[in-house]
Amino acid sequence: MPTVMELYQLLPKTNCKKCGESTCMAFAVALLSRKKNIQECPPVLEGKFKEQKDKLESLLLPAAGAEETGLIVHPELCTGCGNCVVACPVDVANDPKGAGIGGAPTNDKVIFRVLDGKVVASNIKECRRFGMNRVLCYACIDPCPTGAIEFV
Amino acid sequence: MGIDIGKFLKNPEYEIKITTYRDIFQAEALERDRFGEEYRKLSAAIMMSKNDMKRMGFKPGDRVKLTNDNGSIVVELRESKREEPGGVAFMVNSPWSNALVSGDTGGRGIPEFKNISAMISLAKEEVTTIERLIIVR
Amino acid sequence: MVTCTCTGCALLCEDIDVIIENNRVKEVKNACRRGAARIRGCVNRLEPSVNKKQADIDTSIKKAAEILKNARSPMLFGWGNSTCEAQVKGIELAKRLNAIIDDNSSFCQGLLIERILKKKFRTCSLEDIRNRADVLIYWGSDAQDSQPRHLSRFSYFPRGEHRQHGYEEDRTAAVIDVRESSTAKICKGHFYRIPTGGDRELILALMDALSGKVPKYDKRVLELAGIMKKAECGAIFAGIGLTYSIKDDPDILVALADKLPNFNIMPMVGHYNMRGFNENLFKETGFVNRIRFEGRPVHNDGYAVVEALRQKSIDALLVIGSDPLSSLPGSIVSHLADIPVICIDPCVTLTSRIAAVTIPCAVSGVESGGSAVRMDGRVVELPGIIENNHLSDQEIMTGLMEAL
Repeated sequence: MPTVMELYQLLPKTNCKKCGESTCMAFAVALLSRKKNIQECPPVLEGKFKEQKDKLESLLLPAAGAEETGLIVHPELCTGCGNCVVACPVDVANDPKGAGIGGAPTNDKVIFRVLDGKVVASNIKECRRFGMNRVLCYACIDPCPTGAIEFV
Repeated sequence: MGIDIGKFLKNPEYEIKITTYRDIFQAEALERDRFGEEYRKLSAAIMMSKNDMKRMGFKPGDRVKLTNDNGSIVVELRESKREEPGGVAFMVNSPWSNALVSGDTGGRGIPEFKNISAMISLAKEEVTTIERLIIVR
Repeated sequence: MVTCTCTGCALLCEDIDVIIENNRVKEVKNACRRGAARIRGCVNRLEPSVNKKQADIDTSIKKAAEILKNARSPMLFGWGNSTCEAQVKGIELAKRLNAIIDDNSSFCQGLLIERILKKKFRTCSLEDIRNRADVLIYWGSDAQDSQPRHLSRFSYFPRGEHRQHGYEEDRTAAVIDVRESSTAKICKGHFYRIPTGGDRELILALMDALSGKVPKYDKRVLELAGIMKKAECGAIFAGIGLTYSIKDDPDILVALADKLPNFNIMPMVGHYNMRGFNENLFKETGFVNRIRFEGRPVHNDGYAVVEALRQKSIDALLVIGSDPLSSLPGSIVSHLADIPVICIDPCVTLTSRIAAVTIPCAVSGVESGGSAVRMDGRVVELPGIIENNHLSDQEIMTGLMEAL
């Protein structure tokens, strides 16, 4: 997943507000959290920004992957409390002596980990919402106080 | 040139109760830079319920002056995103909220950090800077 | 990668992995948003100074010692962000100077911690909570924002020895608060909203309900009393919302606890080692704060930092790891303009800006080691993880003693 700064560096940085956000930085945050898409930035669609636009699109492509699994983390809302890390039944099953009892994950099989104060999701294919016996699980969403995780 | 009729209208004042709380995003900003823009933005604000704001004729984003015997500050008004019955406004604990806290503790040494009465009115002034709060009166 | 203890709050999380590159923090794993910011450090490091002019650290320490020596009634204040080792030295320094010593608990959780240390409340460890607790009451406490990993590491979400089925089945969590806090959002079904200052009234109603009397109160109190009565192992996490509200009669909470034989009381502490200071001073004097040494320790509410400043009864102030100009009522800090202030902190603070002497120190837990007391009383080691040239709080205290 790209960082906000990577996206911001590719934007026109004119703060023209045409996208509805007050700054290009805010637009970069919105891009990252999938609240906006590149088409909503009129200047970047102009010919001279073609290279930047292509780069932005490729950076945001893994999103297609995230959409396939549907899980989105909004890092700007996350407090890093780790409730999802501990409440996720996959994390409990895959790391019963670490995440399962409230501690830091002790292996790489968990879905949620907290890096620099914000949660990061990986191993998303392990999520109970996918595969043959999928269930509509809300275990990571219910314990989140800020709505930082959603499935789309 | 238009006439600013606002200045001919009486600026109504209302009595409000304020309670303070903690916010992790503000605490993060404090750890990083207590003189920074982020800390100011997350501290120099008061949250009110939609109904309270409507009753007083305020709208989100207005600058408001909060005044009592202990001090006077200008902060930004925001609509509480929480479910609120109204009647109480909220501020994150900070030097801004502390400017309104009484030092009179009945000799017990614990001020009423969470039970503040103040008057609120629209303000033309800019939001109080942290530099202003360091000027010891 | 190294493992460190987070000093962002009094949970003292010991499972923080930090990647260091070129002696700087590159990545912080497992810490919450606030903890990660604490470990990464502030942008404005404090520089040593005397009378607002840059000085070397030895000159600053010497000048500080001189100020304290010449003062008739000096106060040493702060301590919640210092290691136990520095606190013990600080208490020694106060004795040596016949000074007043007080800490943030004086206007925070001191009232409840004192009662814990005097064994007026039943209490337990956070591990006991994880392994056994089935009813959790967050009262005037928004743990999610103040002790962000409390619910995930210990109280609500983890599986414990006797709580193996997950939180929905095994635990009931309720929030009593004036505001729909983040913690209240998580405990949706069991949020009890009270008016500001309404805690005492609810305590009395709960005591009635627990004794089988009909309380004159909203009937939801019966539901709450029912949950509490059924607890095998309950805990009341008492936040400063509750403490401030019952500050005139804190023993009312002792009376409620007496009616709840299966419950533990745990004051929710913010500063990482506030409880450490309370325990260290208690061992020495029998009190948790507000002490003046006059050959023997004398406890008086007039020695509370708030009262001392309001009454203008001190003539020099040493501040360590605290920012009174930021955290005390604006109306009483004017006295700080009239007396010499010595500020010891890793970072520039509001107080350091007006201080006569500033002495920079290492960030404890990151740049210096030692030990600290977690909010439940367990002693936790803090390994320092980054090499640096800053003096630790403890070394500065030793320097002050030597300069005297």
